[in-house]
Amino acid sequence: MDQDLYKLEGVSYSYGEFPALTDVSFSVRGGECLAVLGANGTGKSTLLKILNGLVFPSSGSVAFEGREITEEGLRGGFLRRFRETVGFVFSEPDVQLFCPTVFEEVAFGPLQLELPEEEVSMRVEDVLNMLGISALRERAPHTLSSGEKKKVAIASVLAVNPDVLLMDEPTNGLDPRTQVWLLELVGGLKEIKKTFVIATHDLSLAEDLADRVVVLDESHSVASVGPTREVLEDKDLLLKVNIIHEHAHRHGSLVHRHSHGPYATHDEHD
Amino acid sequence: MAQTLKIPEWLKETRRAGGPGDGGGGGGGGYRGPGFLEKNLAHVASTVRWLMDSDDSASRPGLLQGLDSRARIAGIFIILVAAAMSETTVELAGIIILTALLTVSSRVRFVTLAKRILPAFVFTTVITIPVFFGFFSPGPPGTPIVGFSVLSLEVSMTTEGLSTGAFFITRVSAMVALAALLVLTTRQTDFFRGLRRLLVPGFFVTALFMTFRYIFILLKLFEDATLARKSRTITRPAIGSSQRWFASRIALFLKKSLAMAEEVGMAMASRGFSGRIRTVGGGSLKGKDYLWVGTSVFVLFLSLGF
Repeated sequence: MDQDLYKLEGVSYSYGEFPALTDVSFSVRGGECLAVLGANGTGKSTLLKILNGLVFPSSGSVAFEGREITEEGLRGGFLRRFRETVGFVFSEPDVQLFCPTVFEEVAFGPLQLELPEEEVSMRVEDVLNMLGISALRERAPHTLSSGEKKKVAIASVLAVNPDVLLMDEPTNGLDPRTQVWLLELVGGLKEIKKTFVIATHDLSLAEDLADRVVVLDESHSVASVGPTREVLEDKDLLLKVNIIHEHAHRHGSLVHRHSHGPYATHDEHD
Repeated sequence: MAQTLKIPEWLKETRRAGGPGDGGGGGGGGYRGPGFLEKNLAHVASTVRWLMDSDDSASRPGLLQGLDSRARIAGIFIILVAAAMSETTVELAGIIILTALLTVSSRVRFVTLAKRILPAFVFTTVITIPVFFGFFSPGPPGTPIVGFSVLSLEVSMTTEGLSTGAFFITRVSAMVALAALLVLTTRQTDFFRGLRRLLVPGFFVTALFMTFRYIFILLKLFEDATLARKSRTITRPAIGSSQRWFASRIALFLKKSLAMAEEVGMAMASRGFSGRIRTVGGGSLKGKDYLWVGTSVFVLFLSLGF
């Protein structure tokens, strides 16, 4: 892995009196896929917005390539470089798709970065072809299915050619076929050294893609950071942060208790 | 440790046939169909969708459909200005004939067009009614068409009033017909793209498109909330309860629309938006586009009395 791309130290953020993140510290290395795991409402989406410079910490600091991301600092040349380098795929594609056609949607990012029109058109066509959605180019985004919207949302970010992709709950609302498509896409992009930070509560997604995992607990703090297998095998940790739950069912007179999630074991029999 | 699910006894009871409300009789005071709010909401949603739906006629081959969207929008706009400037019956009749010819040559059904004009026609007629009468449009003395007295006050329609009112109603209807013709012959995507490629500021077009785009999402949310309430409603709720629910939903949707606006703003900022929207330029206009715009300008000159 490369050196640290992001470095978060003691980051806290709150919505009024409700804390969203409390004293969060970790780093993201260049070229890795980092999964941010946590139950609903633990602050995963807020964390990604902070990494994308859309909201700023109430306390603590976030540095990108050694330079602190602040509201005052994210301007001019640094803002341009940051927006070129970091792409954000929102959880809800409807908020991300605001242009009249798919073509214009995918072209929006490169155009805002003032790339020449010929290059923008070339990039849009290439990305649409790569994702297999060329047939949608003249469609209005709001007429698409959930899976198609997600593909267009990803295409709209990829057209900027970011080095870092932040993905918020990327498999939410997708059918199994599109989920597999997404896994293959991220796997392919990992091979060309794109960096991923994926917020999810889908353990199988983390298991398949992530090199490392950050676990957020319900007090909005980091419960654990480590290699994926090591974290996912820590059943007590996953139970404690409410990502998995224990389940009991009967086979005749025998009661099985086991956890739901990866590496689940039938470890208690009554 | 896994927690055992404790199901309350009442939850284990099942409905049995023959209970209250079964058999189609009894159950007095039951749900009596959709209420005022539900019906109106459904009508508003379907009307907005219907008004904006043009993909069927817009995809047919026709005169207007064959033009570049920039030329189509610009030409119709110029004729709209001509209609607004027209002062004589001949000028107005010319614009109506032109609209009819465009309707036929663009293969738009007159019934479809008439349905879109009707609400504007009725509304305009209602607000124009006072103009028909002598106290607004005094005509030559002794020439009332219809006269009657209200509370010992003599009220009469005058020829002057009728002709002024009819001209106004016809002009408004003609303008609505032209606007409807544009909507019916232009796909939504072409319409917004056409606006962008004209000299309309990008930010204005984006704001217009986003209003159009997100109003459907919010309408859908409102409809779903109404249906969710309906699914748990057995008797028709009291009017006060409905009003409170409606007020609470309005507040909720205001909050939701603000949250959505904030998210959309973030999504735009995330992709490099910094206050100025840039778009891909369009292709060049063809001879027929120039001919159409030229004809529209000619109509405008005629309406100005040249």
